[in-house]
Amino acid sequence: MRNLFACMFGVAVSAMSAAPTFAASNDVTIVLSEDLDVMDPCMSSRSNIGRVILQNISETLTELDGSGGGLRPRLAQSWEAVDDLTWRFHLREGVKFTDGSSFDAEDVAYSLERATSPKLSCEIGAKYFGGIELTPKIIDAHTIDFTAKVGQPILPLLMSSLTIVPSGLSPDAFMRVPVGTGPYVFKSRAIGQNIVLTRNNDYWGEKPDVENATYIFRSDIAVRAAMVQTGEADIAPSISQEDANNSATDFSYPNSETLYLRLDNEIPPLNDRRVREALNLAIDRDAFRGTVLPKDVILASQLVPPTTMGWNPDVPVQPYDLMKAKALLAEAKADGVPVETELELVGRANMFPGSTETMEAILSMLQEAGFNASLRNFDVAEWVNMYTKPYAENRGPQLIEAQHDNAKGDPVFTMYWKYHSQGEQSTISDPTVDSLIEAATSATGEEREQLWKKVAAEVNDRILSDAVLFHMVGFSRVSERLDFKPTISTNSELQLAQIKIK
Amino acid sequence: MKSFIGRRAISSAVSLGGLIVLVFFLTRLTGDPTNLYLPLDAPMEARDNFRVLHGLNDPLIVQFGSYVYDVLHLDFGESIRKARPALEVVLEAFPWTLTLAVVTMGLVTLFAIIIGSLAAARVGGVFDRLSGIMSLIAASTPEFWVAIVGIFIFAVSLGWLPTSGTGTIWHWVLPITVLFIRPFGLILQVVRGSMISALSSPYVKTARAKGVRQRAIIFVHALRNGMLPVITVIGDQAAGMLNGAVVIETIFGFPGVGKLMIDSILQRDFSVVLASIMVTALAIFIMNLLIDLLYAVLDPRIRY
Repeated sequence: MRNLFACMFGVAVSAMSAAPTFAASNDVTIVLSEDLDVMDPCMSSRSNIGRVILQNISETLTELDGSGGGLRPRLAQSWEAVDDLTWRFHLREGVKFTDGSSFDAEDVAYSLERATSPKLSCEIGAKYFGGIELTPKIIDAHTIDFTAKVGQPILPLLMSSLTIVPSGLSPDAFMRVPVGTGPYVFKSRAIGQNIVLTRNNDYWGEKPDVENATYIFRSDIAVRAAMVQTGEADIAPSISQEDANNSATDFSYPNSETLYLRLDNEIPPLNDRRVREALNLAIDRDAFRGTVLPKDVILASQLVPPTTMGWNPDVPVQPYDLMKAKALLAEAKADGVPVETELELVGRANMFPGSTETMEAILSMLQEAGFNASLRNFDVAEWVNMYTKPYAENRGPQLIEAQHDNAKGDPVFTMYWKYHSQGEQSTISDPTVDSLIEAATSATGEEREQLWKKVAAEVNDRILSDAVLFHMVGFSRVSERLDFKPTISTNSELQLAQIKIK
Repeated sequence: MKSFIGRRAISSAVSLGGLIVLVFFLTRLTGDPTNLYLPLDAPMEARDNFRVLHGLNDPLIVQFGSYVYDVLHLDFGESIRKARPALEVVLEAFPWTLTLAVVTMGLVTLFAIIIGSLAAARVGGVFDRLSGIMSLIAASTPEFWVAIVGIFIFAVSLGWLPTSGTGTIWHWVLPITVLFIRPFGLILQVVRGSMISALSSPYVKTARAKGVRQRAIIFVHALRNGMLPVITVIGDQAAGMLNGAVVIETIFGFPGVGKLMIDSILQRDFSVVLASIMVTALAIFIMNLLIDLLYAVLDPRIRY
C-alpha cells in the first residue's frame, strides 16, 4: 500500500513541474468547438471553417464591416453597375496568392465557377449563389463584369461571401491545403489536434500584429473557457453564459441569430390568425431575459436584426397579455376553429445553451393560456427534415424552434426562404407577400428599403405568421493580453488581423 | 491451435458480416442526410445535386450492394462530411483510443492485481476494508464529473496539469487517471474474490506446509490460478474502451474513435460509422483471441 501511494505521489509531484505553456508574445491560440471537416475556402460559410479561413487565408472581393460600417473594398478596389443586369469590379493589382501565383480576373471567374460546381457541393455556392445565373466577362486582367439573367442589385454584397482561389485548382476535389491571398498562410495541421497559420510576409495589405495563430479544438464549453483562464488559449469564441463570469475577459456580443417559433400556417388551428396571435400573446418574452437566457438578448419583432436595412421599427414586439390570448382562443373556438387540437412544439437539442429550458418554459406558458401543447426534442438531422420542405403530408400543427442567422445586412437572405410561397422553410402562401418579396429583391436604394419594410409589416404584423422571440447573444472569452472585441461577425469569421497585442 | 484460430476467424467474420448488414440498414433508417449537410437556404437543385453526388437517390438495396462490393475491395467509401476516405479518417482516430485503452488497462491490471491480492491475503483486515471502500467509490463514480472536477482542481486552481489536449505526457495524466478509476474499482473486487478462493485451495495449504514464503504463495502460486476470471473481466472492460472513451475524448479533446463514431452517427456520415465499427470490431476480435490464448498459457489444462 505504501508503495502504491508513493508511486501515485511521484506521478503527482512530477506533474506539478508541468506549468501551462503560455504562448509567445506575438502568437495566439484560439480554441474552437470542433476540428474543421474540410479546409476549402468554398466551405467557409460554416462557422468553424470561416473562423480559420475567411479573410485570414482566403479573401473576398468585398467585405461587410461587422461593426456596421457597410460594404468596403477588399480584393476589389471599386465596383459599379454597368446596366440593370451587369456589375463591373475593378480588382486590386499586385496581389499574390500564397502559392506564389498572381491574382487576376481569371481567378475571380474561376472561383465562382468552382463554388457553384455540381461536382463539389460547395456551401458558399449553394447558400449565396444557388439559383442565380451569373455570366462572367473578363474585360482585362484586373477588371471583370458579371451579368445576371435577372437583376442582382446586391451582387457586391454577395461578393463578400465568395472566397477567391487561384484558377489552377482542381474543380472536383476539396483542397487539403487552403490557398488564398490573405494576410495568413497555412503552416501545418495535425488532424483533430491543431491547425497553425503563420503571417504571410508577401501580403498586399497592412502587416498584422499576430505572427502565428494556433487553432485547437475542444467540444466541452467549460473546458474552452478554462483554457483561456489558465493561459493555454487566448480566445474562446463561443462559451456559455454560466462560464462568462469574468468581466475582464468575457464579452457578450450580438451573434446575429434570431430565435423564433415557426408556426405551421397551413394546418388548423394554426391557419387562424387569432390562434397565432393568442400564441404570441401567451409567451412572456421578458421573463426569459436574465433567467433562462442571457439578460442581453433583445426582444425581436422580425427575423432580421435591427441593424439590417429594411428592418421595420413600426412592427411591434408582441406583448404578454394572457387575458387577451384566452379571449382570442375562445373567440376562435366559438367560430369552429379546432383550438383543442394538440400543438406539437418541436425543439432542437442543444441548439444553444438553455434551448431545452426555453422550450419547456414556452410549453408551460402555452398550457397556462389554454393551449393543448406537447414538446418533443429532436437531433439536428431529424429537426432539419421537419423544418424544411417537403413537409410531411400527415403532420399535425407544429411549432418548430429555430434560429435564423442573417448578418449580411439585407433581408433578401431571409425573406424569400422563410416567407415566399416557394421558400424552402415557408409555411405561408400569400400573393401580396410573394410579389412584395420579388419586387424588393430586384429593387435598389430607398425603394428596396421601403419594400422590405412592407414585407416585414405583412408577415410579422398583418399575417403574424410566426412567434418571433429574441435576437440572441453569444459569449466569448478573450485573454487580457489581447485587444480584441467580438462583433456580430464573430459567429462566421475571426480576422486575425483585427487582433492587437497589448 | 491453428484450427482454433481459423474457427474463431470464421465465426468473427460471420458476426462482422451480420453487424454490417444491421448497421447499414439501421443507419439508413435515420433518413437522408442531404438537408443536414447543405445550408437551410440551399435551393432544391443543390439538394438534388448533392443526392446524386453521394448516391443517395439509388434504391437502398443498390446502395447496399455497391457498399458490400467496395468493402470486399477494401474500399470503405468516402466520408460525406470530411470529403476523405472513411478508413483514413478512422485509422487517424483509432491509435488515440488504442493508446488510451492499452495504457489505462495496463495500469488498472497492475494496481488491481497488487492491491486485490494483498487484500485477499488477510480478509477483513484494515487493508482489505480500505481497498473495499476504495473500489466501491471508484466503481460508482461518474467519469464526466471526475473529469470536470479534476480539470478545475489540477489545471485551473493548482495549475499543475494542462486542462486538456494531447501535446505532452502531462496531457495524458488527467484523462488516464479519470479513465482508470471505474475499471480499477471493478477489477479490484474481482481479483480479491478470485484470490480469496485461490488462497483457500489445497495446493496453497501444501505450499504453506512446505514453508514457502507468503509473497511467493500469493504472487506465484495463487495468482496464476486466480487470474482466469480476472482476465475475462479485463477483456470485457478493454473492449468497452476500444469502442471509444467518448466522455474522456470529448472533455479532454482527444481525437479518438469514440467521439468520431458518435459525431458520425449524429451527422449521418454513414461510411465513417461503418468503417469505425469494422475497425473496432476487428480490434476486439484480435483482443478476444489473445485472451483465449492467454487462458491456455495460464492454465495448461486448457487446450485448443
